[in-house]
Amino acid sequence: MMQALRRRIKVYGAFAAMAPKDYFAYTAWVWVEFIAQFLTMTIFVHFWRAVYANTSTLNGLNLPQTLNYIMLAQVLAPLVQTRTIFQFGFLIQNGQMAIELLRPVDFQARVLVDTLGWLGMYALLKTPLLLIAVILFGLQLPTSPAVWLAFGILLVLGRAVVFYFDWIFACLAFYTTETWGLSVVRVGVATFFSGILIPIAMMPGWLQQLAGAMPFAQAIYVPTSLLSGIASLADAPRVLLIQLGWLIALAILSRAVFNVAIRKVTVQGG
Amino acid sequence: MPIIQAENLSKVFRIPHKDPGVAGAFKAVLRPRFEDKVAVNGISFSVEPGEIVGYIGVNGAGKSTTIKMLTGILMPTRGNVQVLGRDPHRQRVANARDIGVVFGQRSQLWWDLAFIESLNLVAKIYEVPPARYKQLLDQFAETLELGELLRVPIRNMSLGQKMRAELAATLIHAPRIVYLDEPTIGLDLIVKERIREFIKQQNRAAGTTVILTTHDLGDIEELCPRVIIIDAGALIYDGPISTIKARFGKYREITFETLGDASACAVPPGAEIVGAEPRKLTLRFDRTLTTASQVAQAVMNAIEVKDFSLAEPDLASVIKQIYGGALREPVTP
Amino acid sequence: MRRYLTLYWYFLLQRFKILLEYRANFMIGASSTIILQIAGLLTIWVVMGQIPDLNGWGFDEVLLVYGLITLAKSINHMFADNLWTIGWSYVRSGQFDRFLVRPIDPLFHLLADRFCHDGIGNFLVGAALVAKSTASLGIAWTPFNALYLAVAVLSGGAIFIALNLITATSVFWITESIPVTQVIFNTHEFAQYPLTIYHRGIQILLTWVLPYGLASFYPASFLLGREVGALAWLSPVVALALLVIAFRVWLFGLRHYSGTGS
Repeated sequence: MMQALRRRIKVYGAFAAMAPKDYFAYTAWVWVEFIAQFLTMTIFVHFWRAVYANTSTLNGLNLPQTLNYIMLAQVLAPLVQTRTIFQFGFLIQNGQMAIELLRPVDFQARVLVDTLGWLGMYALLKTPLLLIAVILFGLQLPTSPAVWLAFGILLVLGRAVVFYFDWIFACLAFYTTETWGLSVVRVGVATFFSGILIPIAMMPGWLQQLAGAMPFAQAIYVPTSLLSGIASLADAPRVLLIQLGWLIALAILSRAVFNVAIRKVTVQGG
Repeated sequence: MPIIQAENLSKVFRIPHKDPGVAGAFKAVLRPRFEDKVAVNGISFSVEPGEIVGYIGVNGAGKSTTIKMLTGILMPTRGNVQVLGRDPHRQRVANARDIGVVFGQRSQLWWDLAFIESLNLVAKIYEVPPARYKQLLDQFAETLELGELLRVPIRNMSLGQKMRAELAATLIHAPRIVYLDEPTIGLDLIVKERIREFIKQQNRAAGTTVILTTHDLGDIEELCPRVIIIDAGALIYDGPISTIKARFGKYREITFETLGDASACAVPPGAEIVGAEPRKLTLRFDRTLTTASQVAQAVMNAIEVKDFSLAEPDLASVIKQIYGGALREPVTP
Repeated sequence: MRRYLTLYWYFLLQRFKILLEYRANFMIGASSTIILQIAGLLTIWVVMGQIPDLNGWGFDEVLLVYGLITLAKSINHMFADNLWTIGWSYVRSGQFDRFLVRPIDPLFHLLADRFCHDGIGNFLVGAALVAKSTASLGIAWTPFNALYLAVAVLSGGAIFIALNLITATSVFWITESIPVTQVIFNTHEFAQYPLTIYHRGIQILLTWVLPYGLASFYPASFLLGREVGALAWLSPVVALALLVIAFRVWLFGLRHYSGTGS
């Protein structure tokens, strides 16, 4: 899975996230992502079933809880496996960045709106995957509307946190041309520390601390824990506050860093 | 014995027909329908060793499809092509050793490396013997003024330098035939001159046969004693450039700047209107039927003329006329 | 043959000269795959630390399976990465026509055109995993075992390349083959773990249809003394057969291309 979407974005990445509307032009990619997620989900389900063969709980989680979590995290995974830095590199190298900056609408705000707007489409596209998981692997979804609502809020905010982080990281593209390699690193780190592969609660203490120091868990582990039933609704207000803290800090920082970085473009005249 | 011989050469593409939308995509998969598109339609010609032939036509006329069949990339749908006595598609590798191809703006050079590195590898691919390679390299270094360019990475070269490098790389295995697709596109006049000079020289000294496709009529006028014109996949002219010029050269254009309303003027016999504006009138006349002074006289009698000028048609306008349908039937030279 | 080997060497030199022009990029690219692998390995490490075994396979035994598939994949990644990009950077850009007017085999030209340095990271990770697991498991590096491993890894690499070649050939019909290649390629991830954890149908798929299992699970089983019968010896045979089939498919695609010019 980690390499799964690599090539797609290598070719079309610059378009896929910057302009989700165009995404439908590449129907094939929607299918590929779908199949790739299904395959990975199948692998993980078998893997975790084997893991639980001789034990009923791991770190307080039983098999149905873990499977619930892993399947839902897999459905959301592409949301943090983003390559904004590669897209920045693409925009800078073909001179498009300078044009984007000249437009009257704030560039960052526009991409943020696109990114969050895409979540609605994403929910629609991935519903069949959820249904397959329910039918084939016994995924259990909550029935309480309050849980779904809280999940929605946590997911949107978490995605925004990752967006602002990416914005900062992507500014490296103003200083190096090897944005592809850096985006691979970014995806590798996020895949593990967002909790796509294992629930963060199962990690040893030092890894949990590392995961807590990174923003990626906000978009996967935090909302998925609630939806899968690992975390309770009562906990939601507390994690929401933490998310808001991340959001405000990274939003401010991202604007500061970006303003410094774009001098590279404006000084050189694009 | 011709070096290239095409007989009734045709290429028909089967293009899958797709209705728009998802339903259309499904239909295309379940019950594919195809449309035939005739790109090249029964072309015959032959080229003798040492000729330089201009192969011209508008975009989509079938030029590059023909070149792809001659070079062995495409298999003809019908007809037969022989290059150096071989079938260029079936004997692709053998054919490739004897030909060189410049594909428009698509470079065969390694962008990030010094030019000499590209040349070395190309020479290895074509198995040019080291002694021969050195000799040709020295020769090109002189005629294409490559000396100082050998150490420059391609990415740092100007357009003209790139084309010179491209030509050297294409000719480093001393091919007997070269296909040049738009070799002077985008270049300034001085560089164009130099490249034409080089092609001529290569043709004269090494006897290299050259097939040139171009939109630049300067290339044709300076390089090609013979042109082949195709339109909509069919050959419409094959012969000396001089015949075309003579045939269409009997026309002259005369332009008047007038003080009065030019459109009111009656057209003198033997002439026709090419362009009319309120204060400007352009006429074309047939020199075999009338003379410039007769036409001018007639116009000046009708309206007040401020200034007038006489133009000999260049090849560009000739070609335009041919594409415009002036050559419905093939002209025999 | 000799000529092609020499030529490959020159292409490789050319590629390294380019990579040396961009040293930082080279380092980042080659090490990025290592980071990507670490994410998957940390998962195995964390999980296996809490359970005695995975379906009867200990931590080091799982690492051996994972290491073998990574090594096989790295061979494909280093030497045949252009099968991914054929549509985008060769066929649609027209560069593929250049291969057809050169006096060498176009498939050779395509593969030789770009050695992919990103695969080096995968190779190092795979080699480290195999070295670590064999040492911990007490598998001796006898000449026989070394030869067996080498053949297994090369066969595994050939299986990857052959399957990618088959899917890449679709480029001659649909001008972009990555989606097709991606879907088939992804199934190799099943073979990162012992096949016994899967449903019977998946095991058959990974052994007989998309035989990635022959690159990892079966050779690992053999080295560990687990009974898998003739399947322990099948990898080179299947790899060779698959290569022949793949090359036929490729030639068929090439004929279609010269019929249509795409």
